[in-house]
Amino acid sequence: MTALEAGMLGQVLLLALAVTGALLVGTRWRSRVIGTLCALLAAAGIVTGAIALFGGEGSLTIPTALPMDPLVLSPDRLGGLVMMVVSAVGVLASLFGIGSARVASASRTSWVSMAVFLFGMQLVPAATDIVSFLLFWEIMTLGSTALLLAHHATRGTVASAIVWYSAMSQLSFFFVLAGFAVLAAATGGTGFSGLATVDPASWQASLAFVLLLLGFGGKAELVPLHVWVPRVLPEAPGHVAAAMSGAMVNIGVYGALLVCVRLLPNGPAWWGVLLMALGGLSALYGILQASVASNLKVLLAYSTTENMGLVFLGLGASVLLRADDATAAADAALVAALLLMVSHAAFKATLFLGAGAIARSTGEMNLDRLGGLGSRMPWTAATFGAAAMGAAALPVTSGFVAEWMLLQALIHGSRVDGEVVSVTASVAMPLAVAVIALTAGLALLTFVKAYGIAFLARPRSPKATQAREVPVIMRVSLVLGALGVIALGLVPGPLAVAIASAVGPAFAPDVRTVGLAGVDARGIDAVLDPTTFVVLAALLLVPVLIALFASARRHPTRTSPLPWAGGGSRLRPRMQYTATSYAEPLVRVFDDVLRPSRDVEVTHVGESRYLVERVHVEQSVSDVIETRFYRPMLNAAQRFGILARRAQNGSIHRYLSYSFVALLSVLIVVSL
Amino acid sequence: MFDTIYPQLIGLCTGALLLTSALMVWRHSLLASIRLLSVQGFALAALVAVIGVEEGETEVIIVSVLVLLVKGIGLPWVLAHETQATTRTDEAPRLNPTAGLLTVALLTILSYVVASRLLAGDSSVSAHAAPIGLAMVLIGFLLLVTRRQAGSQLIGFLVLDNGIATVAFLTSGGVPLFLELGISLDVLLVVVILYVFAGRMRNKFGNTDIDQLRKLHD
Repeated sequence: MTALEAGMLGQVLLLALAVTGALLVGTRWRSRVIGTLCALLAAAGIVTGAIALFGGEGSLTIPTALPMDPLVLSPDRLGGLVMMVVSAVGVLASLFGIGSARVASASRTSWVSMAVFLFGMQLVPAATDIVSFLLFWEIMTLGSTALLLAHHATRGTVASAIVWYSAMSQLSFFFVLAGFAVLAAATGGTGFSGLATVDPASWQASLAFVLLLLGFGGKAELVPLHVWVPRVLPEAPGHVAAAMSGAMVNIGVYGALLVCVRLLPNGPAWWGVLLMALGGLSALYGILQASVASNLKVLLAYSTTENMGLVFLGLGASVLLRADDATAAADAALVAALLLMVSHAAFKATLFLGAGAIARSTGEMNLDRLGGLGSRMPWTAATFGAAAMGAAALPVTSGFVAEWMLLQALIHGSRVDGEVVSVTASVAMPLAVAVIALTAGLALLTFVKAYGIAFLARPRSPKATQAREVPVIMRVSLVLGALGVIALGLVPGPLAVAIASAVGPAFAPDVRTVGLAGVDARGIDAVLDPTTFVVLAALLLVPVLIALFASARRHPTRTSPLPWAGGGSRLRPRMQYTATSYAEPLVRVFDDVLRPSRDVEVTHVGESRYLVERVHVEQSVSDVIETRFYRPMLNAAQRFGILARRAQNGSIHRYLSYSFVALLSVLIVVSL
Repeated sequence: MFDTIYPQLIGLCTGALLLTSALMVWRHSLLASIRLLSVQGFALAALVAVIGVEEGETEVIIVSVLVLLVKGIGLPWVLAHETQATTRTDEAPRLNPTAGLLTVALLTILSYVVASRLLAGDSSVSAHAAPIGLAMVLIGFLLLVTRRQAGSQLIGFLVLDNGIATVAFLTSGGVPLFLELGISLDVLLVVVILYVFAGRMRNKFGNTDIDQLRKLHD
């Protein structure tokens, strides 16, 4: 037995342990025991993924009696990378769950589903044939659905969220199944190695590509298949949302990579354009919705759509440039997309865990009622801040490295040796750069709002005033996540090299480690060495800071409380900026896209026209795609349903008549 | 001697079967229908007996006795017993007698047309009579569709079952004893269960009009 096989068997064993444990252990110890087992299960995933990433060999075969290729689990390097990333998020989520899971989310069902969810997610990248891929895909989906059900008894909105999630999951499963079926019909096998023999120029390949893209895009929360995200993630407990938004979306990206890198490499240019369009649209729409959202979890959920959009944009750029023979830039774009996927997993998991910590301490997710948590929850504030910097793609975080690399690839992409590679590329690349620039700006605004409103200033509600820091185990999980964000940002070199080796052998990006673990994309002459940069900056800044401190000590500080309150301290918390007011200019600028509905209600004092007792303002931003695209479809389906009920009215006579008429018709047809 | 009257006997029995089926569509009274069903059971038993004598198989003759006991005596007795024990309501079918008889004629023609295609190569006496069985199946179905009361529906169901049995005996010369035993007991069981249901319906709603059964309860 090789190490890889042992790793996968270990995961199966730990799953069995966790499930039996969850059923047997009593309420008091359940979260601790099963949370630890889930963390171990995910840790086994990290080890297995690492072995696969560094070229470990081995396979598990699931025997079946069905007439098709055998079900073989054998992760390749790319699968190993994805398995590692999702397992790392799984470890964080499990550790956090030990502390945060209470009442409903610490039930038997919840912990069993958590273990099953993690297991399914970790083994999807190990599949080497259609059937085992879909099997683990469905295990993952079922596990996550059951996890979401945790709070259905206490919150009415959970049911509708679950319906949306299930419907959209089934829709994407259908697309994936249909796409694979087209490929299988074209080649006659179900193994991925057999499917890879399809000619990417054939119409079957194109049909399969579009279907698979829709299927995997649904899991990766791309527009227009993202509608479940802003409904489902706010309902999920913090650690579950982290696992879904930090890890499960990566499985969607893995699916797209499987198509573009393994099964159908070197596809035609229009595939790339399609991917870029879908990705760019998702990025813009996602960040726009996130920037005006005032519910913290909705904000984070939409931000996931944005990041996944950027990943798909990078992937599309790589396909497009490869079709135009700009291989170096194409490979750099691919590496950038993967870097973004990894860094997104780190910062989004941490952000959702931070949101979970806030929810645990205050029970409030509306930013307009938070505030002042920085001094009350310092650990959460610091880790959330680091992760928010990552999400806003600021330097020394992982998000910055990924977006920098993507921009480099796009800028250098449209020309090779000074020659324009193609008209499509020379139009698409600048547009993509513009999209990323706008996205990055809005992302900065969004996360300044998320961090600033939640953690700075004064508490805006009693609940926020009474917030307490979360238990140690949750802090450990938050700190690990934040360290991941910073570490990936400071030493991106080894990760980029590992990614470059993972996409091989069909693709061979020329990426090296340079300086203090910096990254050097040789194909496009781009070098980034954050650690050296930080060290140099520190060398320059330290004397300046010392001088500043020295001068500050000589001049004692004047203490006047709240000078901006006109000398008084009667500033009420309600006078501060809120999330809604902060986003107001954006809502005005993007009025046509966001279509907010505003409701202002003024109550006057007595008969006076001029004295106002109270002003009530309510603003809600609906999802345009949901109201304009899904609602009409649902209404049509409902009308059809009402019609169908006339035929199916429950009368036994009517059903008997149907069978009688059917029998007569068969007889008449036979006798003709 | 028997060979010469065999076709006539077969014709007589099947004629009785078709006639009773048609009369059941015509009559609305539940008790009359039950009596007709009993006559039909006797006719079916006679048909089986004739086939048994012709083929010289004792097993088929035993089956005919079984048919007589179950379909000629047992089932009608159960039905009549239950019907007399409760208040009688006459049937108000969805089809008036004239239209019903016309439909019966059409269905019989259709079954002859179908059978002529299906049994084109078979020129034996019993194959000639097989369309009657098919016609009985269709008439039974017609009764099921047009009757409102649970009891009358049950009679339609039994006519349908008789039709199937007729086709089976005429085309394959009878079924093995054990199979027939099993089928008969099944039918008996179904009838008893349905009658219990009908009784409960009557207790609950005051009648057995199945048009009222439209909604499912949780």
